Amino acid sequence: MTAPPLTEYVTLVSNDAFEFKVLRSAAVLAGTIKKALDPSSNFKEGATNRVTFHNINGVILEKVCEYLYYNQKHEESKDVPDFDLPPELCLELIVAADYLGV
Amino acid sequence: MIAGRGRQRIRPPRRGLHGDEIDFEKTWGTIASAFREIHTKNASRLSYEELYRHAYRIVLKKKGEELYKRVRDFEHDWLSNEVRETIQTLLSPNLLANSQNLGGTTTNERRVAGEKFLKGLKQAWGDHQVCMSMLADVLMYMDRVYCTDHHHPSIYTTAMVLFRDDILNSPTSDADGSAVLGLLNHVILDQIQMERDGDVIDKHLIKSCVYMLESLHEDEMESEDQRLYNTSFELEYLNTSRDFYQQEAEFLLRDSDAGAYCRHTRRRIYEEEDRCRSTLSEVTMPKIQKVVEDELIKNRIHELVEMESGVRFMIDNDRLDELNLIYDLNSRVDDKKSELMRAIQKRIVDMGTDINNAAIAASQASAPAPEPGDKGKGPAQERSLNQQTVAAIKWVEDVLQLKDKFDRIWKDSFSSDQPLQTALTRSFADFINSPTFPRTSEYISLFIDENMKKGIKGKSEHEIDMVLEKAIVLLRYVQDKDLFERYYKKHLCRRLLMNKSISNDVEKQMISRMKIELGNNFTMKLEAMFKDMTISEELTSGFKKHVAGLGDQDPKRIELAINVLTSMTWPLETMGSGDDEEGKRPKCIFPTAIERIKRGFEKYYNEKHSGRQLTWLANMGSADVKATFPKVPQKDGTFKERRHDLNVSTYGMVILLLFNDLPADQFLTFEEIQARTNIPNSDLVRNLQSLAVAPKTRILIKEPMSKDVKPTDKFYFNEGFQGKFVRIKVGVVSSGNKVESDRERRETEKKNDDSRSFCIEAAVVRIMKQRKELSHQQLIVETLNQLVGQFKPEVNMIKKRIESLIEREYLERIDGARVDSYRYLA
Repeated sequence: MTAPPLTEYVTLVSNDAFEFKVLRSAAVLAGTIKKALDPSSNFKEGATNRVTFHNINGVILEKVCEYLYYNQKHEESKDVPDFDLPPELCLELIVAADYLGV
Repeated sequence: MIAGRGRQRIRPPRRGLHGDEIDFEKTWGTIASAFREIHTKNASRLSYEELYRHAYRIVLKKKGEELYKRVRDFEHDWLSNEVRETIQTLLSPNLLANSQNLGGTTTNERRVAGEKFLKGLKQAWGDHQVCMSMLADVLMYMDRVYCTDHHHPSIYTTAMVLFRDDILNSPTSDADGSAVLGLLNHVILDQIQMERDGDVIDKHLIKSCVYMLESLHEDEMESEDQRLYNTSFELEYLNTSRDFYQQEAEFLLRDSDAGAYCRHTRRRIYEEEDRCRSTLSEVTMPKIQKVVEDELIKNRIHELVEMESGVRFMIDNDRLDELNLIYDLNSRVDDKKSELMRAIQKRIVDMGTDINNAAIAASQASAPAPEPGDKGKGPAQERSLNQQTVAAIKWVEDVLQLKDKFDRIWKDSFSSDQPLQTALTRSFADFINSPTFPRTSEYISLFIDENMKKGIKGKSEHEIDMVLEKAIVLLRYVQDKDLFERYYKKHLCRRLLMNKSISNDVEKQMISRMKIELGNNFTMKLEAMFKDMTISEELTSGFKKHVAGLGDQDPKRIELAINVLTSMTWPLETMGSGDDEEGKRPKCIFPTAIERIKRGFEKYYNEKHSGRQLTWLANMGSADVKATFPKVPQKDGTFKERRHDLNVSTYGMVILLLFNDLPADQFLTFEEIQARTNIPNSDLVRNLQSLAVAPKTRILIKEPMSKDVKPTDKFYFNEGFQGKFVRIKVGVVSSGNKVESDRERRETEKKNDDSRSFCIEAAVVRIMKQRKELSHQQLIVETLNQLVGQFKPEVNMIKKRIESLIEREYLERIDGARVDSYRYLA
């Protein structure tokens, strides 16, 4: 099993074919993404560094990525500014978050 | 917040995220086939996201339970069909036979088969772990939602349990019921045994199997002590190890010496430690150590210590390393190291008793019992006394050597262990104070005496310090310090009066050391003796000036050097020969010239200190007599007047002066001499012996010539006396410090007992004065405590003293008290 070197960025793909290049360190904050990319599990995603989500569209995925960065940035700081959530996306985001294990 | 933006519509989640109703069977089919791929290591073609999405959906559709069950069944099937088969192929008949102890195979075969088995098992376990963690990843959502909600163990745990049940607990073969687990234990133990026997084994392999056992649990609770490792393997491991070491201990005790045994044991302990670290689990370390320690040390330490080559042998041959080993081992199992301590103590007491006996033997062999009624001390006895003195000094040196030896052992081998030191000290005290050897105090004092007189000559300060320190070390062990004080006083007295001491400074050093060690009380009298000496010197020079001032320039003037001794502090009675009781000492008649100067001094002294009485002790002291021998033909034919300075005892001087007034051919009989001098019988005999019998100092001629002095003997002045030196010292028999004869010893002891009686009484009165009322038992205890610094009185003696105090109405018994009690009567 020749594990491909871990890349700095990974690609997240939405069901409407938007691609987001995200820092790996930020992406793995989501449980599902982390497991998918785990090199020791040796799934297809791990080899290609590319995860496709068949049930999340680009708008939501963008928000998710935004949140992952936001999360990474404020991981250790206090007095975190509120994360701006457009209300109209609330429910869908919640579902996505549940799915991704964020 | 949401209410504030109330007008904005919240869009319902778009369809498609969940998907529509799904076909469970179809989805499961996809998942199951994917799982199979995973198990056959073909996962790289699978999309995690897809599988996850499927599982996610199933759970969302409330089919979680169904999924969970399916996965479990799937794993169960997989393990019991595919994996077990692989394992079964590894079970060679050899291996199975071994597990039932049928034997018949070589170690090497066993090892190869065992390793193969372990490898297979490890492989299976590793695969299972990897696959299950992948599965668990895929089923993450199920774990998170379904298992948490329904309190099921996660799918990973469940799968591990399945591995335990389906593989480890499965029978090794259809025929018999022993489980793979048992076989696994057996194989591991077998491998360990091989390592103990010196083979090289694959530690990593075993370690990974141990990891497996460690991560599996007996029950579902997953508590620490329920791990398979603890419940199944460790127990067996400890048991077999116990058996092994038990046998090994027996074998070793039979076949090798104690040193080898110790070395072996230590190696085993380290080995087991290593094994726990590298091969097994750290948690076993304390347990297996206990097993080894129990079997190889605790249960065997007694035999080990008692072995022919045991502690005794090591001590005798200075095997410091081995002693250190034993110490090390013993302290592992026993904080008090009682076995070792016991052996050491016994050895010390044995060796000490040997020294005691040697000293007794040396003194007895050379001293054929003195004839009773022997008048004076014959030369034979004299010699034996000398030998006894040598024996005494040898004894002290032997004891010191022994002490050095054990100190070295203690420091080098017992890492200066505190309790052991106490034990050593106690043992030394034991044999030094042994009731069968009552001469300790005397011997130590003699040792000091010897050193003060001769030993320290030409030694550096440091060396002298060492000698003094040694004496103090021994003194520390002595219980009957009062007896020692008595002897020391006596010996010191002789040294001071006869100027035998080499250095007053050293004497004073010694005393200050004793003061530090034993306290003021002890040295008070000794110091007083020194003070007397100084005062006497002043008196002497004062008197000299006084005489010079009188202008009485007598050419025959006699110089007087005097020592005025306070009778309380000086052990004068011990100085006299034992014949005369105190007070009955007859007064020696001094010749007139002497008598005159004696009076002169008495007058001088009384002027200085009125009301003091001077008692002249003629039996001590010495005199320098200038003697002129007339011209008589010499051997070489010359006629020459010879002058000699004779250093004689005071009595000797008195005797010689008698002959001054006597014509050369006249004689004096023994009785005449005695009548004219009033010198006590025994002293006279001794002085005459040294003047008339000893060949080098034959200043008088005795008739008849014989060794003994009889009352009828006649004495002439030896005009033909010849000496090589101008200055001649006429030694008087028995003037040095020697071992006491038996009679003297009895006397000393009696005196000691008397003074002890006073001490005890004083102590009792002190205690009672303070307490007013006290029970008998308490009184005894307190008395013992008070006196411990001086000596250890017998309880009987205390009782007698109490009786006597009651008789004299210092105390009374309390009537009707439950226990015997006393009251102090003011």
